[in-house]
Amino acid sequence: MIPFALVFYYEPWWVQIIKSLVIFALVFAILPMLTVYERKLLGRFQNRYGPNRVGPYGLAQPLAEILKFARKEPFRTVTAVGYLYRVAPMIAILTAVSALALVPFGDVQHIFGQRVGLYGIDVSIGPLYVFAFAGISFYGIMLGGWASGSKYSFLGAMRGAAQLISYEVSQGLSLVGVIMTAGTLSLTGIVHAQAGMWYIVPQIVGFLVFLVASFAETNRAPFDLVEADAELVAGYFTEYGGTPFVAYLFAEYANMIVVSGIATTVFLGGWLLPFGIHPPGWVDPFVVLAKMMLFITFFVWIRATLPRLRYDQLMSFGWKILLPLATLNLLVTAIVVAT
Amino acid sequence: MSAVIFFIAAIGAIAGAIGVIAVRNPFYSVLMLIVHLVSLAALFLLLRAEFVAASQVVVYAGAVMVLYLFVVAYVGGGAQLASGPVLRILGPLFALALAVELCIAMLGSTLKGISGKGAHYVLGFGTPRHIGTLFLTKYLFPFEIASIVLLVAAIGAVVLARRRRGLETMGEEQQEYRISAHPPVNTGTIAEGAGIRVPTPEQLEPEVEVIGRPRDGGGW
Repeated sequence: MIPFALVFYYEPWWVQIIKSLVIFALVFAILPMLTVYERKLLGRFQNRYGPNRVGPYGLAQPLAEILKFARKEPFRTVTAVGYLYRVAPMIAILTAVSALALVPFGDVQHIFGQRVGLYGIDVSIGPLYVFAFAGISFYGIMLGGWASGSKYSFLGAMRGAAQLISYEVSQGLSLVGVIMTAGTLSLTGIVHAQAGMWYIVPQIVGFLVFLVASFAETNRAPFDLVEADAELVAGYFTEYGGTPFVAYLFAEYANMIVVSGIATTVFLGGWLLPFGIHPPGWVDPFVVLAKMMLFITFFVWIRATLPRLRYDQLMSFGWKILLPLATLNLLVTAIVVAT
Repeated sequence: MSAVIFFIAAIGAIAGAIGVIAVRNPFYSVLMLIVHLVSLAALFLLLRAEFVAASQVVVYAGAVMVLYLFVVAYVGGGAQLASGPVLRILGPLFALALAVELCIAMLGSTLKGISGKGAHYVLGFGTPRHIGTLFLTKYLFPFEIASIVLLVAAIGAVVLARRRRGLETMGEEQQEYRISAHPPVNTGTIAEGAGIRVPTPEQLEPEVEVIGRPRDGGGW
């Protein structure tokens, strides 16, 4: 067995620990703000104010909500399956946070004479790492719905299962075109390969497929059949309250951040700016965050605009339109890259 | 550090494998199998096979097991397992044969792995680039054969699933209940409200044509 120290990492272990803490703190500072951001935007789209009571412009709303949720009595249904019911939200939030480690916020910087990459890890398998955690995050939904012992939860979880499997394929295939063009799986490598032109231009089909599949993967409207409130009350987290519910809520927003981060990295050039502008290194994370906010705003915009799909529409769209489109994009890219 | 991770993952793998056969409820059995597969992925990661670990999780834990769980959750745990005198004798026999076979295979390698230090780690080992190069050069023939087998399996699955569907023609029972009803007018559509589509007098009679009739005594 090989000791870890033998493997080439240019960062000492304490830098990695600090980095992971910073990314964790940053994202968990953004997450509550995202909830209020979404509600504010939704309010504006619907010609009303949105939350505006707590703090200036309602900005302290998440604080009040988290306090309220944390003080709720932990309860469960009589038919719930004990520990699975408790473990499921943890799986959901753990996998969502783990996938965050991959989003690159910037290039390698020299901070106090130390080379530090502004990302959690830069693995050689790149997006596969995200898909691995996305695959496990499914169990958070599935077990939560099943262990609740309620029909609504179960139906929501089942829908989630089918939906996640169907759209994961298209999402993966849409990224393969970029990987072939860049010739690397490493996300920082993909960003560097976009120095001339962002991949949104040559890979526009892949970008669109990825975007649509991301809506399904994060269970956001118009693909939020998993929690279709008109039919299923709230889907897989119907029977959850208090902090377990917050875990599911934050997992959804964390997944949004991850998907936005991957889309930014892969299609929008990560920390690169157009027109040959090269700002100093400390600007990089802000560029990435700004681009991510673009995607998140788009997510909210779509939620405010489009009605929810019917279940068979969702399935036939995923398998009959999205998947052939992704495969076609893959084929064309392969031919173009090979010649 | 690596020893600690190894023992955690190894205990997880063995406990998961035992759990699969020891647990009665099929749902928990599948969950145990997932624990086993994820632990195996951790072991692969420890051996620097990042790509294999990721595909293990994506393909097995993320896709195959999802389908297992899907089916088991729908069918429920009430199904009785197949049992009988023949199975009761054959089962241990097969298990014994498999155990003997595995022992022969293990002893056949003369247990070099226990005393040796193992292969040296080369930079770039286990990366997708390395694996892809090997697939397209050294192991091209097995790779292509596996691709064809997978293709056959995929086509077979589609063919099998198609035959059973039969939703194209409606059954007689469904036809009996089909009614042809024109959308009633004057129900407040926007076009009517704006005076764009003014209903003609014969449209004002809602026309409902029933093909077939409802089942005896049953309402709609």
